[in-house]
Amino acid sequence: MFDAIVIGSGMSGGMAAKELCERGLKTLVIERGRKLEHGASYTDWMQPWDLPNAGLIPQDELKQDYPIQSKCYAVNSATKHYWVKDSEHPYTTPEDKSFAWIRGYHLGGRSLMWGRQSYRLSPMDFEANAKDGYGTDWPIRYEELAPWYDQVEKFIGVAGSKEGLAQLPDGEFLPPFALNDGELLLKQAVEETFPGRKVIPGRVANLSKAQPHHEELGRTSCQNRSLCERGCSYGAYHSSLSSSLPAAERTGNLTIVTDAIVHSIAHDPTTGKATGVRVIDANTKEGRTYEAKVIFGCASTIGTAQILLNSRSEAFPNGLANSSDMVGRNLIDHLYGLSVAGILLKGPNTYYHGRRPTGVYIPRFRNVTEPGEFLRGYGFQGSATRVGWRSAALAMPGIGAELKQRVRKLGPWMIVVSGFGEMLPNPENRVTLNAGDTDQWGIPTVHISCTHGENDRKMAKQIIADGKAMVEAAGGMVMAAAEEPGEPGLGIHEMGTARMGKDPKASVLNKYNQAHDVPNLFITDGSAMASSGCQNPSLTYMALSARAAHHAVEFLKEGKV
Amino acid sequence: MADPLNLTRRSLIERMLLVAGVTATGGFSLPALAESAAGNRHLDAQRFTVLSAVADTIVPKTDTVGALEADVPTKFDAMLKDWASAQTRSQVAAALTEIDTLASRANGKSFALLDAKTRHDLLAPHDAASLKVLPADTKGGVATLMGFPNYTNPGYGRIKELVVMLYYLSEPALTQELTYEHTPGEWKPSIPVTPETRPAAGSMY
Repeated sequence: MFDAIVIGSGMSGGMAAKELCERGLKTLVIERGRKLEHGASYTDWMQPWDLPNAGLIPQDELKQDYPIQSKCYAVNSATKHYWVKDSEHPYTTPEDKSFAWIRGYHLGGRSLMWGRQSYRLSPMDFEANAKDGYGTDWPIRYEELAPWYDQVEKFIGVAGSKEGLAQLPDGEFLPPFALNDGELLLKQAVEETFPGRKVIPGRVANLSKAQPHHEELGRTSCQNRSLCERGCSYGAYHSSLSSSLPAAERTGNLTIVTDAIVHSIAHDPTTGKATGVRVIDANTKEGRTYEAKVIFGCASTIGTAQILLNSRSEAFPNGLANSSDMVGRNLIDHLYGLSVAGILLKGPNTYYHGRRPTGVYIPRFRNVTEPGEFLRGYGFQGSATRVGWRSAALAMPGIGAELKQRVRKLGPWMIVVSGFGEMLPNPENRVTLNAGDTDQWGIPTVHISCTHGENDRKMAKQIIADGKAMVEAAGGMVMAAAEEPGEPGLGIHEMGTARMGKDPKASVLNKYNQAHDVPNLFITDGSAMASSGCQNPSLTYMALSARAAHHAVEFLKEGKV
Repeated sequence: MADPLNLTRRSLIERMLLVAGVTATGGFSLPALAESAAGNRHLDAQRFTVLSAVADTIVPKTDTVGALEADVPTKFDAMLKDWASAQTRSQVAAALTEIDTLASRANGKSFALLDAKTRHDLLAPHDAASLKVLPADTKGGVATLMGFPNYTNPGYGRIKELVVMLYYLSEPALTQELTYEHTPGEWKPSIPVTPETRPAAGSMY
């Protein structure tokens, strides 16, 4: 028997494993996907001319195996091995409610492919549900999580600038990746034209300057290659493979099993506790069970809901820890893909060197410093860059020496801003199991029913209007705008299916991420989120994971679980 | 990976960039054509020869290498085998035949047998007509922006895109036409522009 089992090795699972191991617990991490090796499994060595098929995945293969994953910007022939084959991992949606479930099944999970943008939720985010009545009140406030944000930021390394903004608390930052001259122009224009709005360096989990505790794990400073989605052999961005799992491993307390798909969590009705985890071997399809004193669910928002709903028993006929009927409900993703692009007609006559792994961030201002005709708000990620060869060559007709000549010239500055908006929790946006429809491992597939609501649609409209106004304020001519948000899921920020809350009748987890119904079960992935804020959420998952691990160990010592 | 903003950025960049114009000076020979057409390829010899001529016309040798020196036709043919769907193969083949037919009608010769200037003068208007973008059938969402542009002539659009991509992803182009550092190391947010400044490859757009 292990002291702890962590289901999933991604962003949350890696951090939970590290914290549990460092506190002395013999910990088993169960990963459904195959083993990947830090460095050896990456493709960051590939030069542009090495890319298979010029970076393109064969068209028939894309259509057959990756029809959903290929909607993600980071899927190409150099990263294909990180994304699941949709053909092998089916799920269903209503015909009129598409949902893009973007996934990576391997050791390290999506921590290998994440966008690395790292922002704290703010006090107003933890109070939002209580204030406007949507969702259930968070059982914690910002101040309770702040020390854990500090700890996680120091460990993973987050480059950023201190801004003193109430809606986006500062943290323990490495030096920021400075804005280029096009972005400084945007910053000046936006901040002068719209008092209260800020354009700041994107806060990103890349080591702008590696610290000794990073180097101890073999991590070095970012080389400004922007090849992050291929995996980074320098360990310059935080992932489970480069950072949290090596930290767990050096304690001597870590065991990892890969190719083990969790079927369900076993529960003993006499003690009221979870006793272990049933897995199916991905290759042999044989079943086995691992036992532990505490179990951490970190299988991702939809994966965790699937496991809980499939863990039925006499005590929990609707799924483990689901007496509230909230497991699977309140699925949220950020409004995504609402982008505006414009060309600066009079941009600065300068350039930059290197491919910085981030851009600019414009923190939320609607319903903070400016009113909105909707609840909650949104932030923008973006950049100003000089138009590159691809656009110069292909965005207009022309051949021959003239084409080469224009590609050779430095292009104009292009500003892109993309809004990330907060979706309201809605219990009808939910994950359920397809009765009688199982995958090749005999596990019921999921049915995902999720759609944007009226508040979300109002917000999307304002995102585009604000984006255009800011690009134009900088002297940009708007050239492109994606007026409609991408389908839910494309933000790859799914959350909410086992939410934290004060009321056991309306939530799944308490203030320690501990299941109301099952005291030795902790869930710390995105499913725990009672609301999403508009900030990229991985940092919060990790802070919740570290905090929950601390409390789980304390409870174990006190004999409470 | 498709450039997600390619579709509707065209018109502005056209206005911004229509300042360059240099006479084509292609360097292309029949012996080279014959040699490159040999071997086990997806395209038949005739179409491969036309493809080579088209690639050489789109990206000719100037003071730097062109598509032929960067081995673009061979890589293109390999992509037809390894990457393209049956529909794309068919569109590309038809587009190559169309160009050859245009040449035959106008000059009585296969496109590949024309001199460089005649090929350029023939292909340039075809390029402009073929790459007009038709209105999208959706409301401008992400899928539309990330998709292949809705060109009037999708077969020629593919040819143009692949020739350009394969050229500008080649080592000669990235070291002679543009600049590329696999590991830049330092981020310098502001450096002066000089007459020698070349765009750095490797960014998304």
